[in-house]
Amino acid sequence: MIFIYGILALSMNLLAGYTGLLSLCQAAFYGIGAYSTTLLMIKVGINFFPALVCGIFITSFISLFIAYPSLRLRGDYFILAAIGFQLIVFSILYNCVWLTRGPYGIPGIPRPSAFGFQFDSLPRYFLLGGFIFFLVLLFTRAILRSPFGRALKAIREDELTAGVMGKNVPALKIWAFVIGAGIASVSGALYAGYVTYIDPTSFTLDESIFIIAIVLVGGSGNLKGPIVGTFFMLILPEALRFLGLPVTIAPNVRQMIYGLLLILLMRYRPQGIAGEYRFE
Amino acid sequence: MYIMKLHNVTRAFGGLRAVDEVSIEFSSGGITGLIGPNGAGKTTLFNLISGLLKLDCGEIYFDNIRVDGLTPWEIAKLGIGRLFQDVRVFKKLSVLDNVLLAKLQHPGESPLSVLFSTRRVTNAEKENLGEAHKWVKFVGLSGKENSPAESLSFGQQKLLAIARLLAGGYKLLLLDEPSAGVNPAMIKSLLELMKKIADAGRTIIFIEHNMTVVLEIANWVFFLNEGRVISFGRPDDVLGNDEVRKAYLGV
Repeated sequence: MIFIYGILALSMNLLAGYTGLLSLCQAAFYGIGAYSTTLLMIKVGINFFPALVCGIFITSFISLFIAYPSLRLRGDYFILAAIGFQLIVFSILYNCVWLTRGPYGIPGIPRPSAFGFQFDSLPRYFLLGGFIFFLVLLFTRAILRSPFGRALKAIREDELTAGVMGKNVPALKIWAFVIGAGIASVSGALYAGYVTYIDPTSFTLDESIFIIAIVLVGGSGNLKGPIVGTFFMLILPEALRFLGLPVTIAPNVRQMIYGLLLILLMRYRPQGIAGEYRFE
Repeated sequence: MYIMKLHNVTRAFGGLRAVDEVSIEFSSGGITGLIGPNGAGKTTLFNLISGLLKLDCGEIYFDNIRVDGLTPWEIAKLGIGRLFQDVRVFKKLSVLDNVLLAKLQHPGESPLSVLFSTRRVTNAEKENLGEAHKWVKFVGLSGKENSPAESLSFGQQKLLAIARLLAGGYKLLLLDEPSAGVNPAMIKSLLELMKKIADAGRTIIFIEHNMTVVLEIANWVFFLNEGRVISFGRPDDVLGNDEVRKAYLGV
């Protein structure tokens, strides 16, 4: 799960941390990735890995339809359009019963396998997740350290000046958005192969908000931030189990400690734990 | 030879005609000053030329290409650069990154070529890096390459913004009040810099309130008031014009 959210955080960082796009529909792409990979495996019968690659292309392609009209709008409108898109994707997943089985979900998703090797046990899946996470990390690093990444940062800093300096602002934003969608779909595929059952409730607006929270807590604008954020948001709730609190109050106290930490973080380190860029 | 031609350019904000049927021809090369009281429409005119505002009517030609109606980045790619009054450097980025960003048509700004034609991108970036170092040195900011732009003083940020313009290789530079907010010593080096740029064959159009500066470096001056061109000519003549003196200097 850490790697799955790690990948999601990387995709969000590309959008929020580098380009300044607060995209509230990352979970939609996460879901589209999960569903398209699953359906390709079950209905077409292809292996997990080619299905994952096809899933990336399908998700990126779908993201173009939302990116093209909405990224030509200014800031706030984009956020509204993204929320709208997130809700639409959820209702499609929920209501297209013939394709997605709607609220029943899709059970019995085969575990990934390659060359006769099954990633069926937890440690094996951990290795697979780690490997794919590492690949995605290298990919985002290459993209973000390139002149393209620099141009995205310029847009985040000052869109108007970037335009006057010859940067095609909408085109660059659309690229960032489409790449971000493709990356989110990778974690969708990993998620489907991991839990072997998917239903639409895993890909809601809440999930999108959680992804943004990871990046905001960990810090954005560099590559450390999302990784730190993922550890913090996923491991801390688990670690708090070991405090040895009485069973009756434990869950509530855990939530309280967690909430308190978030508030302290926002107060004393608004750019996130390892971030270089503060969201305004 | 004209580098830019404005024909009947008009732009109104509500009932106010900020730029009112302005027709100007800017000759190629040299330094042209735009002067006039606050609210005369000088900055609006710059915004219209660089595509940040749409024209209500009129036409703008640059190098015989019609540029009104194009996007800011298309206009920049044709060779028109802009210095803002409030400089607008990318504050969180380093000085070097600011200048590196100036390169127009960098192949590395397309993610496809980043992934698939790595060598072309690396070569372009290497060349770009050399250029950027050269311009940072040219404006006298050597040693500050890796500092974030926000750590520079306002005057230095202005120099950085000029380095950015030079690195962009623009044929025409629009400078909005280059001497405002800069200390006298730095104004001097700034003027030297502008002369050097003009001598290198680039055309400069600048907005200025400091008349000493205008008299010192401008070859031509346009005087604007209430969105219209009132007077045009050599700096001495324009500043000696009665109408100009009444409208601007209050004498």
